[in-house]
Formats: sequence, C-alpha cells, structure tokens
Amino acid sequence: NQSQNKDDLMYHLTAHLRMNAIYWGLTALCIMGHREALDRDEMIEYVMSCWDEETGGFGAHPDHDAHILSTLSAIQILVTQDAIERLDIDRVVKFILSLQQPSGVFAGDSFGEIDTRFTYIAVNALSLLGRLKDLNVEKTVNYIVQCRNFDGGFGSRIGAESHAGQVFVCCAALTILDRLDVIDTSMLSWWLAERQLPNGGLNGRPEKLEDVCYSFWVLSSLSMLKKVHYIDSDKLVSFILSAQDPEGGGIADRPGDMPDVFHTHFGVAGLSLLGYPGLVDIDPVYCMPAALIEKMGLRKGWQALERRTG
Amino acid sequence: MHGVRRARQSKEALEVKRRKEQSKLRDYLALTDDVLTRKKRNEWSREALHATTQLLQINPEFYTVWNYRRRILINGVFPESTPEQIKDLLTDDLSLTMEALKIHPKVPGISDDGDPRGWEKELWNQELFVVEKLLDADPRNFHAWSYRRLVLESMPVPKLETSDLAYTTRKIESNFSNFSAWHQRSKVLSSLWSQEFDLVHNAMYTDPKDQSVWIYHRWLIGSGDSRDILEREIAIIQSLLEEESDSKWCMESLVHYKRLLLRNHASSVVTSTLTQDCIQLLHQLRKVDPGRRERYHEIASELMSS
Repeated sequence: NQSQNKDDLMYHLTAHLRMNAIYWGLTALCIMGHREALDRDEMIEYVMSCWDEETGGFGAHPDHDAHILSTLSAIQILVTQDAIERLDIDRVVKFILSLQQPSGVFAGDSFGEIDTRFTYIAVNALSLLGRLKDLNVEKTVNYIVQCRNFDGGFGSRIGAESHAGQVFVCCAALTILDRLDVIDTSMLSWWLAERQLPNGGLNGRPEKLEDVCYSFWVLSSLSMLKKVHYIDSDKLVSFILSAQDPEGGGIADRPGDMPDVFHTHFGVAGLSLLGYPGLVDIDPVYCMPAALIEKMGLRKGWQALERRTG
Repeated sequence: MHGVRRARQSKEALEVKRRKEQSKLRDYLALTDDVLTRKKRNEWSREALHATTQLLQINPEFYTVWNYRRRILINGVFPESTPEQIKDLLTDDLSLTMEALKIHPKVPGISDDGDPRGWEKELWNQELFVVEKLLDADPRNFHAWSYRRLVLESMPVPKLETSDLAYTTRKIESNFSNFSAWHQRSKVLSSLWSQEFDLVHNAMYTDPKDQSVWIYHRWLIGSGDSRDILEREIAIIQSLLEEESDSKWCMESLVHYKRLLLRNHASSVVTSTLTQDCIQLLHQLRKVDPGRRERYHEIASELMSS
C-alpha cells in the first residue's frame, strides 16, 4: 500500500528518497517473513532505471543524480533479490572509491558533502561487492578515529558532536574493517545505555526526545559492542509496539504520530534484535537479513537477544 | 517523517484534501519536468536558474536540483557577471539557503563545504551572524553547530578562543540542557580547563538531574591521573548526594571516580573501603535506575572478582 500512491503530492515530494524507501520496505518485509509481497522483477527494473550512466552510480529516482546513499540502497536491494549480475561492479566500485577525500572521509557525490555516514556506506557497499581489498583501510580508519569524542561517541565529521546515528555508522564501518579496537567500549556502551528514557524509548543524544529509529541505531551499536543487556529490552519492545498505528498499520517515530516506511523498517529491525517472536534474524552491521550476510561470508561477531517463541 | 501526529480523517475529508492537492501536484510535476528537461540539455540560462529557485522553495530536499543550480552558476551565470553581480548573486543564494534551513533545519548538503563557488571573505562575518541567529532559535541544531565551526575555521583573521568560549557560555546559561554547546567547549578548553571546575559545580548543584553536565564532568576528570582532583571532586559529589539522596548521577559518577582511584592510585588509598563503597552504591543504583541494572550488576561483579 506504500508503493502505489502516484497521485499523492507527498509521494512526489519524496522522490529523492525513493531508492532508500524501497530498500527499507523490502528489508522490513524480509524480517517479517513476507518478502514476496513486493514484485521482484518490477523492483529490479526500477533499480536499474536509476542507473546514472555518466557517473557509474545510482540516483534515488530516474533522472536524479547519482549519490552514494542511493547507490548503497540499490546494491542492497540487488543483493537481497539475488540479482547482482545486473550490476557493472567495476564501474560502481570506481564511482565509490572516487568519493574518498584526501582526509580519508567519503563524500556523498561530486559536490563534496562529507559525513562519516558516507564512509560506512562505502565500506558496506565495497564489502557486499567483495571489493574491500581496493580500499585504503588505514586512511579510512584514521579519519573515523579523529571523529571520536570525549564521551566515547562519534560525530558526522571531525569536531562534531556525538549522535547515535553517527555512532552506528562508525561502529559498523569499524566492525566490517575489524578495527573495533579503536573504540572505548566501556565509555561508549555507557553513553549508549543512557539513551534509554523512562518511557522505554531511546533518544539519539542527551536531553532529546525518544524516537523509534534509535531502536536500531543505538541497539545495533550495543549489539556490535556485545552490550545489548545494558538496556531494558522489555520496556523498549513495549515502546516500539506502542508506536504502531492500530488502524492503518506501520510504525511511527513515537506513539500517536503518523507511521512511515522508514520508522517501520527500523522498528521491526529493533524488535528482531530484541528477540521478538516470529521475526527473522537481522544483521545489525549491514541492516540486512542475517542468513544472507552469513551465506556471503560477511558475518561479524555481534550479539542479539535470543528469539522468543510464541 | 518526524513529529507528525496521526489524524483520523473521514473518507469525505480525505477526498476533499486529495482534490485540493491535485492542482498543487500538477504544478509541482510540471515544474519538476521543466527543470529536469533543461538540465538534460545542459541549459545554464537565467531562466533555468529562476526555475530552480521556484522548485527549491517548494522542495528544498530535492538534492539533484541543488546540484543543477550550482552547475548553472558556475557554467552559465558567473562567467557573464561582474564581481559585484557575483556578490549579489551569492547573497541572494545565501538568503535562499537560510530560508530553506529555517523551514527544513535538518537538510544536510545545503551548507556543505564542498562548495566550488568559494565564499567571498567579506561574507564570513555575515555567515557567523546568520548561523548564530539560527542557533538562538534552535540551540541543538548540530548542522548549524558544524557550520559555525567551519565558518570560524575559514575566517581570514581567526577569532580568539576566549570569545568562542564566551559564546558557548551564553548558550549554556540560557539552557543547562544544551549538550551541543558543552561539546564545543571540549574542543576549545584544552589549555583553559582549570577554570572549568567552578562553572561545572554550579550547574551540577542547580540541576543534578541533567545528564549533559555529568558526562562533561567525566571528561574533565579524564583518566584520573591527579589523585588530588579525584578526591576533591569525589568529596563535592558526595556532599551533593547528601542533599539529593536518590540522585542516580551522583551515585554513577562516584562509582566511576572511585574506580579510577582504585585503578590509578591503589598504593595510596584504602582499596577495601573504596571497593565496598562502590559495591554499596551499585546496589543502590540497581534500585533507583532499574532499567540499567544489568550494567551495574556487571560492574559490581568485576569489582568483587578483582
């Protein structure tokens, strides 16, 4: 029901997020065991229609410029749908590597906005494509280290404040590159544990509001640090479930708000890591089905809560 | 989407809304089509620039159109303009950017530093003024904080550390919960840190429930190399705990600092007393902060086995 709203204004105003939205929708359905709900062939054709022949990357929508964000989502969709042979891997790898800056961080596109999110995206994508060997790992890790703050967390660039989203991307990139040694685990896992509010929800940084998407950013970071038990999982599960729309379905950022595919995806992912019954395992590093990542030989040493029955 | 309340609307109301949106939608799609068509044929005209302005005012998140706009300026408009005209164009562009930031304060890419246009030096003070205005309205906007750092770094004559310090002080005193401002201080204060303790103690006693202050205090203490400072701070926090007997933050911090004493100064302290203190505090913490009991339990176990 999310996909066929072509005469809705909001659908068009969010065209720049379309590739990401498809990835979120597909992954959420996989975790709920209903991947067949979206048409595979249609999806693959859409992805390929977003290929930007000039740059060798993917845009969010046909005729949109290539960007590293939509390029990763495209790769993740193709991998999940077992259609990676549609990709010109050498060209995509070239596009991604071209975005690394002299400082070691990655830009999002040729216009140069830099962010540690893009570093994670590059590392994730190259890993999925089996081309990590082409990356200058030392340079990449060195920039992340300089983003480390006094609270143990990481920001979007050197000097920036710690934020759970940025903590996730830095932890995940370091996990893929086998460099978790640069993290002060006891400090960071404490900072992450303190994101839980009395209502059970998690926030992204001190004194901010709870939001369901942090159920993933914070939780997956704790999972990589093997400290998931540092938060109250029952309260978090209750919080996520209370953010559902009981009439229309889907999950919102917090109880009483409008649901959307972004929060639905991250809410379901969080529930999976918390062992919620009836869900499929998710890999917190790649935010993709765990079995798939394991099959590709990419699984790292993270910890999730045991899946409960009933 | 964030912060949008769920509203149940009747079928009739939804239909009325949909019909109203149809003409907006038609206009939006026509404008998008116009801009993307011009882009595909590499048009760099003033009309094209104007079309991008219109579109970005409706949808500032359309990153492809920001990219096209930059290319129009570089390839079409600037080569045909005098330096004065370029300055006016950049000022207009800054207004568009700031307007967009006011409506959508979280859109990244709008104020990134990969900008090949190159801001004129006279505009830096204006930039600082504008971004600090945004921070008055939205003190936790980390995009604005990042951009302010970039502006300070780019100024031809750098501002004094103490003046930057004064700015963060204003932000903190207007709202002790502003973690963003505390963070900026950590970067500036390496050479001025000894004067910090007075300021921090004031905040701690005024609002002991604010976690920002406690996390920052932990950084001030650092790895606990100074036994004197550790013992002095432990005494101060102990007094506060006597006034606020349920304070989770006093307890959590006392445990951490006593452990630092145990780790770094074991030869000059009574380790058994300190260890007992910590275990007792952790026991209390499991009661006042039950959600995080597993962590307190883990730490107590580590203490008991060491």
